[in-house]
Amino acid sequence: MSSPSRKQGWDLHERMMSQDPTVTLDVFLTFMGPLIRALERNPGCSYDEANACASDAVYAYLRHPERFDARRASLSTFLTQIARHKAQDSYRSSTARTRREQDPRSIFEVHPPAPNISLEERVDLKQRLDRLVQRIEGAGLPERDLAGIRVIFTEERCSMESMAEALGLLHLPQEEMRQAVRRHTDRLKKVLKRLCKEDPDDES
Amino acid sequence: MTNLDWLKRAAKRSTTEPGLLGQVFATYQTLEHCSLEALADELGCDEQTLQMLALCRKPAGEAFAEQVKVICERFGLAPRPLVNMLRQVDIMGGMETHAANDSGRSVARLQLAARDRKRKDEPTP
Repeated sequence: MSSPSRKQGWDLHERMMSQDPTVTLDVFLTFMGPLIRALERNPGCSYDEANACASDAVYAYLRHPERFDARRASLSTFLTQIARHKAQDSYRSSTARTRREQDPRSIFEVHPPAPNISLEERVDLKQRLDRLVQRIEGAGLPERDLAGIRVIFTEERCSMESMAEALGLLHLPQEEMRQAVRRHTDRLKKVLKRLCKEDPDDES
Repeated sequence: MTNLDWLKRAAKRSTTEPGLLGQVFATYQTLEHCSLEALADELGCDEQTLQMLALCRKPAGEAFAEQVKVICERFGLAPRPLVNMLRQVDIMGGMETHAANDSGRSVARLQLAARDRKRKDEPTP
């Protein structure tokens, strides 16, 4: 099923501004399916989340139809934008929760040091990592940056998808997302480098 | 029928949305202690139609009669049960709100009285 046309959206909006009692149902019938499908295309967005966010978007419009400006976008685009923002917010809060529950120190278990290093070196490595984690946690970085840093830490080859997921950039078009991920990764690596240099015992 | 998986949830949510029939149905259910099936029976429709009805605007104001007519024509319903339901919710729901407000005012009056008494009891400097 294709997404509703601009004309369909305009007709519905005109009815919304009148006293038509069944138009609210028609807005749901016209847009819920396409909105859910559009949201479900984003990796990490389940059907349940898509359903809830699409419903949020339609209810937001029903409460304040006057906020829609037909000169700026079609009703379909308007609702899709609201639904995507809702999905993004919901994704960010659930990602933040998951990430909060994970400790970057787990890198030691994910990427154990080479087996031929001595016990002293191993302990030293662990202590340096602990100090770095403390500095990262104390740097007052926004949750999004912390999520990105965790990806850099825990993934041997930090993939674009996992970085985009952590930074909440999955809603962007592919090329825009690639550029944003690269920009943020470079920035976060610089932050990490600076924090590493702050360790007086770190000679690297 | 197209895939309407979302309908049940959207209708459930409409029970807290002012201005939608879903909220009227929820109030009626509370007043009459009736199930969704009983509500659908009373209106003369099935549950899916009831969910669709819940997402329609509540008829109100000068266009009330016309709006009821439009809704009933669309879903093939007799207008009388819907009108009765709307009237009952308007009257009884309104009375309940009044009662709630009155009890709220009483509580506020009691709190003010308690505060006054406390002030009177306080030693004067």
